Amino acid sequence: MNRTIAPEYSKAQNIDLLVPQRIKLTDQIDLYWLNETQDDTVKLDMTWDAGSKYQSKKLTASFTNALLLAGTNKLSANQISEKIDFQGGYVSQDLDKDQGGVTLYGLSNKIETIFDIFSENFSNAIFPESEVEKLIDIRKNGFKISMEKVSTLCRQEFNKHIFGQNNEYGKVANLEDFDNVTVSDLQHFYKSIYLETKPTLFLVGKVNQSFIEKLKTWAQTLGTSKSTVVNTNFEQTKGRIEIPKKDAIQTSIRIGRLMVQKNHPDYYDFQILNTILGGYFGSRLMANIREDKGYTYGIGSGLSVLDDSAYFFISTEVAKEVVDNTITEIYIEIDKLKNELVSENELEKVKNYLLGDFLRGSDGAIAMMENFKNIFFNNLSQDYYTEFIHAINNITAKQLNHLANKYLDKTEFLEVLAG
Amino acid sequence: MIQYKTFTLNNGLKVIHHQDKTTPMAVVNTIYNVGARDENESRTGFAHLFEHLMFGGSKHIENFDAPLQLAGGECNAFTSNDITNYYNTLPAENLETALWLESDRMLELAFTPKSLEVQRQVVIEEFKQRYLNQPYGDVWLQFRPLIYKTHPYKWATIGKSIKHIEEATMEDVKNFFFKHYGPQNATLVIGGNVEFEDVKSLVTKYYADIPARDKYTRHITPEPKQTETRRLNIDRKVPANAIYMSFRMGNRLTRDHYLGDITSDVLSGGKSSRLYMSLVKDKKLFTNISAYILGGIEDGIFLFSGHLMEGVDFETAEESILNEIEILITKSISDNELTKVKNKFQTAKAFQDQSLLNRVMDLAMHDQMGILDKINTEKTIYDTIKVDELINFSKETFTPTNMSVLTIKAI
Repeated sequence: MNRTIAPEYSKAQNIDLLVPQRIKLTDQIDLYWLNETQDDTVKLDMTWDAGSKYQSKKLTASFTNALLLAGTNKLSANQISEKIDFQGGYVSQDLDKDQGGVTLYGLSNKIETIFDIFSENFSNAIFPESEVEKLIDIRKNGFKISMEKVSTLCRQEFNKHIFGQNNEYGKVANLEDFDNVTVSDLQHFYKSIYLETKPTLFLVGKVNQSFIEKLKTWAQTLGTSKSTVVNTNFEQTKGRIEIPKKDAIQTSIRIGRLMVQKNHPDYYDFQILNTILGGYFGSRLMANIREDKGYTYGIGSGLSVLDDSAYFFISTEVAKEVVDNTITEIYIEIDKLKNELVSENELEKVKNYLLGDFLRGSDGAIAMMENFKNIFFNNLSQDYYTEFIHAINNITAKQLNHLANKYLDKTEFLEVLAG
Repeated sequence: MIQYKTFTLNNGLKVIHHQDKTTPMAVVNTIYNVGARDENESRTGFAHLFEHLMFGGSKHIENFDAPLQLAGGECNAFTSNDITNYYNTLPAENLETALWLESDRMLELAFTPKSLEVQRQVVIEEFKQRYLNQPYGDVWLQFRPLIYKTHPYKWATIGKSIKHIEEATMEDVKNFFFKHYGPQNATLVIGGNVEFEDVKSLVTKYYADIPARDKYTRHITPEPKQTETRRLNIDRKVPANAIYMSFRMGNRLTRDHYLGDITSDVLSGGKSSRLYMSLVKDKKLFTNISAYILGGIEDGIFLFSGHLMEGVDFETAEESILNEIEILITKSISDNELTKVKNKFQTAKAFQDQSLLNRVMDLAMHDQMGILDKINTEKTIYDTIKVDELINFSKETFTPTNMSVLTIKAI
């Protein structure tokens, strides 16, 4: 056997995507359900347009979300947790800039009981003063710790300047803001969003029809309106911002710009360009700055997509002495993409990697549902993934070069250094 | 139920096949029976540095990653005090590519000076990023040598200091490879949408001609029983005081492991657990607190860690934890509470087992520990645990002479 010769391989061709069935719980509220699972696990996501962009005061959305099960007139937070834990249930409460919600995890023979405990207490939440105060203490501690990290300092400052501080997306909490959280703010946000506007439900797992009927009954009690906040007026800063941190032994670097959104014709192709630059282990930034120069443990680039905006970013942490060299090398890599065509061999590698990555990200019903949620929340067509695969298969080096020149203009970039 | 079949090549390589027809993927996982515990005390961090070098090209293949990415694959690895584990996930039809790559680096590395120089720098930056430039990042660098005085568990996998990484030589690299990376010192687990017969013939094709090397026999003297309370305070620029309390217990292969696992869940598994309810919410002494176990193959640790509320002193914090232990021992655990913990455990296990990669790694780890045949029955051990046994475990484990306390004072 000649070990220098690589075996034949094939390109991932057809990817069978499971599409959840849509069940109308009410005229307004939809449930998306995937029941082709192999085990007894059940996951139920309930998601509202309740992200931080809907708040009028900092931290309101996140505190409301975290305290949805923190007590009613009948039960304390501890009693509610005790009941859910006894059923072997897990609850996660998640929030980003756009969405907020609750996810229940349990086994199929327990999920109905877990849901009953959730729904009863969710619908009667009172946000007790003592729970709010306790959470303020906990969150302040977490906040102080994370503000000691150069990566957090850098990300926060980048966030402010990529959207502009007058935009809801660009607003960042300070330590003082935690002390201004009030019970009435949370109660108001809860009533006006969680009780008045409609959620969307995503269910993965084998459940009885009786559970679906239960969800229908519950949905009758919920709000029907749809939030209509749309963020506009983004004011990105261009150029460099430095956040000094004494004693830091590494500097966190973040470079980026506002970018086209998922429904833009350039979006898929730009994803591929991003992958070449910094989107996987074999990317040019990793190959140069980690695997050739040894400046960092890791460097990468990505696209962050929100309801009303999107941005492109490169991020890394490096020793202080090599900050300038690192930035120089980042721009050398960007210039190469602008001035030279990507070789056939590299292009094939990236295409195959992306197709394989797509398979990895579609492994199992829970992963399939995440893919579907991506389509759903970004208002994309059902053919989104088919189109993406088509784009991967058909992109040319010339198109990528054109995109690099169109979007990777140094004068358009925001650079934030913390350390 | 995790189904599997095994076979062993003449050179000593053990292979485990785990079929899952519902996935389009395959996982190729190689676990080597070597970790930071096998390092020389003057060359710590080496097993982990070596893991990085495994990606720097092998005898016949210049670059590990590129051919794998061409076949749609992705790879990573991790090093612990006990083992080193490498895994690739790729479309099942391209299984052969991963076997070609993995077998060549088991045969022999390229040993290029450039790879050593670059990865040395990368690991130094990893050391800074993860252990030095993070609040509380160096806890384990400080705490391990307090808990262990002679056993190699006294250093962390990243190593004792950056200096050791700077001093590693190519000769060290070669010796380490030939000592630890032979087929008889590894288990290969292949999972996913692949047939047993295909796996067998492909593995034979790529691995059968790798020569068996000397079987490495480990001679580690067990850490003597701890006989006194140990204390260490360090001052750090951190936002809040923190306390870490350890109690040594039986290793991963003893019944202590399961008893410790359940006890830690009773104390801190979720929002209805004792420590959170009492010390965070009721008494307001901590902003967070947790109890968990480290199930090392050589030795186990039961650990408490928490951040103190502003104004709470270390003495009060420590006493409050000891008081919770006292309550556990004197007032026992109700049947309800034990059932709750077992129910949560069942759910968590079911979700973990969904992932093919988790199942494959679980097989690899169980085989390394010599308990592959118990992989499906292990969870029934939890069902046999009764309250009395847990109380006895607590009485024996949580004693003053078995305790080490690390405090981090915010300055």
